[in-house]
Amino acid sequence: MAPLRRDRMSVDPGSMLTFVRFLFAFTIGSHILMVSTSIALVLLISISEFLSIRKSDPVYEALAKRLSKVFVISFGVGTASGIVMAVELVGLFPSFMTLVASTGAMVLLYAEISAFFLEVLALVLYVYYWNSFRGRYSHWVVSIFVVAGTLASAVFITMLNAWMNTPNGFDVSTFVSSGFKTITDVEPFAAFLTVSTVSQVFHVLVTTIFAGSMVIGAYFAYWFVRSRDAGEKAMYSRALKILGVIAIVTIMLAGISGSEEMGTLLVNQPLKYAALDGNTVPGTNLPDRFFGSIVNGSYVGGISIPGMQALLARFETGVTMLPGLSKFPPNTWPPLLVSTTFNVMTVGGLVLGLFMLVFFVSFVRKRRPYESRRLLYVWIPAAVLAMLVYQLGWATDEVGRQPWIVYNVMTVAQAANTSDALLLPGVIIFLFYLAVVPTTFYMYSRIFQGSHEEAPA
Amino acid sequence: MNGIFEVNYAAFSVFAALLITEIMGAVGLLIAWPSRSKVLDYIVPIWEITGTFGALWVVTGDFAYPGLLVPVSAIFTPLLIVFLILWVARGASIAFAEFITKRRWLDERKLFKSYAVATLVLGLVVLVLLSALIGGQGVSLASGSFSVISWATAGSVVFVVGTLLLAVGLAPAFFDLSALRNLVLPTTGLGVVLSVLSYWLMSPGLLTPWMTVPVLLTLVAGALYAWPSTSKIVTNKAVFLAVFSVIIFSLQPLVYPKAIGQALSIDAVTTTGAMADAFFSITVVGGILLALMLSLYVVVAARGPSGPGL
Repeated sequence: MAPLRRDRMSVDPGSMLTFVRFLFAFTIGSHILMVSTSIALVLLISISEFLSIRKSDPVYEALAKRLSKVFVISFGVGTASGIVMAVELVGLFPSFMTLVASTGAMVLLYAEISAFFLEVLALVLYVYYWNSFRGRYSHWVVSIFVVAGTLASAVFITMLNAWMNTPNGFDVSTFVSSGFKTITDVEPFAAFLTVSTVSQVFHVLVTTIFAGSMVIGAYFAYWFVRSRDAGEKAMYSRALKILGVIAIVTIMLAGISGSEEMGTLLVNQPLKYAALDGNTVPGTNLPDRFFGSIVNGSYVGGISIPGMQALLARFETGVTMLPGLSKFPPNTWPPLLVSTTFNVMTVGGLVLGLFMLVFFVSFVRKRRPYESRRLLYVWIPAAVLAMLVYQLGWATDEVGRQPWIVYNVMTVAQAANTSDALLLPGVIIFLFYLAVVPTTFYMYSRIFQGSHEEAPA
Repeated sequence: MNGIFEVNYAAFSVFAALLITEIMGAVGLLIAWPSRSKVLDYIVPIWEITGTFGALWVVTGDFAYPGLLVPVSAIFTPLLIVFLILWVARGASIAFAEFITKRRWLDERKLFKSYAVATLVLGLVVLVLLSALIGGQGVSLASGSFSVISWATAGSVVFVVGTLLLAVGLAPAFFDLSALRNLVLPTTGLGVVLSVLSYWLMSPGLLTPWMTVPVLLTLVAGALYAWPSTSKIVTNKAVFLAVFSVIIFSLQPLVYPKAIGQALSIDAVTTTGAMADAFFSITVVGGILLALMLSLYVVVAARGPSGPGL
């Protein structure tokens, strides 16, 4: 084994910074793909088991049992990937992690580990001791602990991201003026509630559940359409029924929380808001614009709805003067591509909302949409769109905060480790994730399909 | 006494005890596949908990020593990235192996063996890291780098061999492989001797009278398995894990008060003030939650496994 230190080849720090950025973005993008399906899975398992007891329906019970095996894989790979990210953060952004570790943000990570313990111990009991409980409801209650642990982990980590967007709980000016050496007036528990926490947690949680439900639903939709086995079809339709309800509820909440999130941005991160909405100059009667671009300081092309942005902003926050990029130094602007990713996210969300509206109307009219081949054919591309929108939402949030890693405190360049010793292991991690993610989804399917013994006769 | 160090080191002790028992199991899967059921009965529910204690150790470490993150990143990142790749490989292969049904070339056996190989190599990487943290071999604090060639001193190599011998020596006791009963005490004894020798080779100052505690506990654990009348004590997995955690916990003078070849004072880099108070508050709340869940686990597990995963 060669010495693990920087030597031989050298890469300039600017290129390494781009590499480090890309590596972490890729890792987190892969991770949230697994996390969103994991959260939707655990909800589906818990609801299925509840319905199996409530309705004395063995199909629901078989569904819960088969999915619990899949969830073990999801948990195993997701946990390992989560640990990769925890350690990767230290390796790639050591100055950022030093700030995190010295402030309340660290308390959130520690709280997340407590939630993680709740999840893992409950999961082991739930899966490996299924029939050891006295009474079926007491076993089902354990699934609530799994759900609580899974959701709490997601909530705490999103709180940390909210803290990165609107940091609090320490004296920022002393920290910055001391060249990141002195941290004073630390309030460790303040990070639990920054000005953006509630809206961000709300939006991230519902969109995560929505995206995961759509992806898992696509799997069941595909197999429902393809299968000739009546028993299997009955199971897929029950899963789709539950996922359909979850998706309808969460897409509605995603709209509400997304609007709330924009209101929070307008008040607390006006530069990001201006970049997302493509506002080159401040104004009181600005339009909502889609799919144009900013050229020489002006927004050109695309579709424009006059006065719409101002109307929504006034309704959400009461703010009448909307921010524009010209009010901020250009070297603090995020890449303006975020305007496009934001537009794709918004329009994609609307399209998905329309699809779920059709699904809902069909539900109300007792047309059993979860067994309609036409709707299920549409569900599959809709799931791809849902995951694209979800990933773009995350990218918009992160890229929209650039060049800051912690807003108005520390830039990514100041936080990053640009040692070229990271190059080779970073490439290996990249290739590794490229293999692990598809393999994991393949194994989900293989193990679910390989568990026919759980299906009722 | 440094309470924050104690909590972080306690998390490490449990994690290390669980990981070493997994390594013992990995050896069993590789060399004694026909007797896999004894190994898998233990590993299959426990591997997820090992990972969680690993995460607890990493996070409490970040919390406890914020000033160390920049140097640790500079020195150990390439090694940590290798660790991470093995970690995901381990988690993915065992999770797939648990429920897979044979189709074409991929089956349970291949996946469990992949898990075993990943776990063994992972253990090796952890031992390299630990020996560097204890004796400072291969670490240059001045240039912020780590060199495997400089690491490979007599002390480090004997440390790795000694620890592996301990794992191999105690494995028959842990998994109750009575055919190998006679090997336990000599192998464990040799492992203890080599481990102590490695500490002396790294730095004679590491050998304090306190070292007699882990030495005696380890030898007693090995000796108890030598006689059928006392072997039930150590073949009880909960007892073994508890004793093993205590043994590792009692090795803390190797890194406290000074680590990395006596060059780093732990007290000087430990968090203080409001963050220290918050650390203890969360530890208490999380500890209560963990104790409640473990109690529930013990009650239910006593009734025996009975799930769809089996």
